Amino acid sequence: MKRFMSIIAITLCVIFLSEAYAESPMEAVKGQVDKVLEVLRDPSLKSEAGKKVKTKKVRAIADGMFDFTEMSKRTLALNWRKFNLQQQAEFISLFKDLLSDTYAEKITSYTDEKISFTKEARLTENTVEVQSIVLRKTQEIPINYRAINENGKWLVYDVVIEGVSLVNNYRTQFREALSNKPPESLLETLRKKVGKA
Amino acid sequence: MKLSPVAIFILPVMLCLAIPAAHAFDAASALQTAERLQGPDAAEFSEAQARLEEVMIALADKDSAEEQAPETAQAEDERDAEEGRAGHIADPLAPLNKVVFQFNDKLYFWGIKPVTQAYSHVVPEEFRFAFANVYDNLWSPARIVNNLLQLRLKAAGNEFVRFAFNSFAGIGGMGDMADKALGIKKQDADFGQTLGHYGIGHGIYLVLPVFGPSSIRDGIGLVGDRLMHPLTYVKSSNLTFGQKLGIIAHERVNSTSFRIGDYESFKEAAIDPYVSMRDAFVQSRQKAVEESNR
Repeated sequence: MKRFMSIIAITLCVIFLSEAYAESPMEAVKGQVDKVLEVLRDPSLKSEAGKKVKTKKVRAIADGMFDFTEMSKRTLALNWRKFNLQQQAEFISLFKDLLSDTYAEKITSYTDEKISFTKEARLTENTVEVQSIVLRKTQEIPINYRAINENGKWLVYDVVIEGVSLVNNYRTQFREALSNKPPESLLETLRKKVGKA
Repeated sequence: MKLSPVAIFILPVMLCLAIPAAHAFDAASALQTAERLQGPDAAEFSEAQARLEEVMIALADKDSAEEQAPETAQAEDERDAEEGRAGHIADPLAPLNKVVFQFNDKLYFWGIKPVTQAYSHVVPEEFRFAFANVYDNLWSPARIVNNLLQLRLKAAGNEFVRFAFNSFAGIGGMGDMADKALGIKKQDADFGQTLGHYGIGHGIYLVLPVFGPSSIRDGIGLVGDRLMHPLTYVKSSNLTFGQKLGIIAHERVNSTSFRIGDYESFKEAAIDPYVSMRDAFVQSRQKAVEESNR
């Protein structure tokens, strides 16, 4: 109980501090998205050789943008405990690469379009949804970033594109994969997927 | 002052914090000792490390005995709830669905994609854009009816004005002038969503040839929407069945021409494309139904 109370206290402190001093979640998310777009739009990286550099750069930016531990726990949900400590650590690192690549891949198809950040919607005490819209010629695509406040820093823990949450989508896939196979085989699949086999 | 009630709440909590914090300092100072000793005396270091481990284990035991149990249970509940919300769909026809999924996959890569690429090469973007708007305008009656059925009267009204304006003033909707000149946005609504709005569930998951992911409910929705499409009521003396199919195929190719690459990137991201697509379908349809309730 004491620990629970202390978590509440810390959360409250963080909220007050962040509201007073830190940048808003929208500014934080927008700043990171702009950085990713800058890399993706870089004409010097358009070549086949530039592709690898691009992936590397995006993965580096994603490091400061996403909360990969939180995302990993959320996607594995109950299956998280089927993984031993070492497997959990490897999972986080592989999932990190997979998500960075996926995010880059999704956002790449929108690099030529205008992206506007529209609003922030508070979800819980320390989570916020930052909403953005990609203006395509034939449609508007809503992309929402769910961010969690970690010690005054806003980190994204889910990206919802056209109503489809990436975390939920991976969760369903992982649940299916783990329903009849051990964690090791999922890790092997992930290694292959991100090119670390 | 806005802060004071919170401060009153925080102060006692801070006091509660002091007790576990004292334990934490135990561990921290042991760790510091361990670090300081690392250089000169390895024997003493390992002893300190052992002591640190003891403290840590004691703390962990205390935690798990006192607090961790209810906390993890709560977290689990939350995650369970989230899993429930993530949307589940019965898929008893999975073996058959997977065959159709593979068929659609090949249809895209071997048929639709090359045809669309050739088409885009020949037809300039502005023309494809105009076609897309005309086709979209023809779905407007279905949107009006569904908005009405969902009792979204304002949306139905907006859609009606759009349809009238685009059809008569905007040359069949070629430039979507209702959006550009009047600033009235499209008000999406479909019959599967209407059924969902009234609490009808998906039934089971279906992968339809050519049309892709669907369900019993949304399959009925597709038929319902088609019945609200003007093309359905064009007499066969004016357009034969084959010609109608040709128009529908052109509509499909034309709209795909703006989305080449989307399916590829979807597949690239997926661990299991079949499951990923099914989940994305459930999630986006759930969102559509939620929006109809606003």
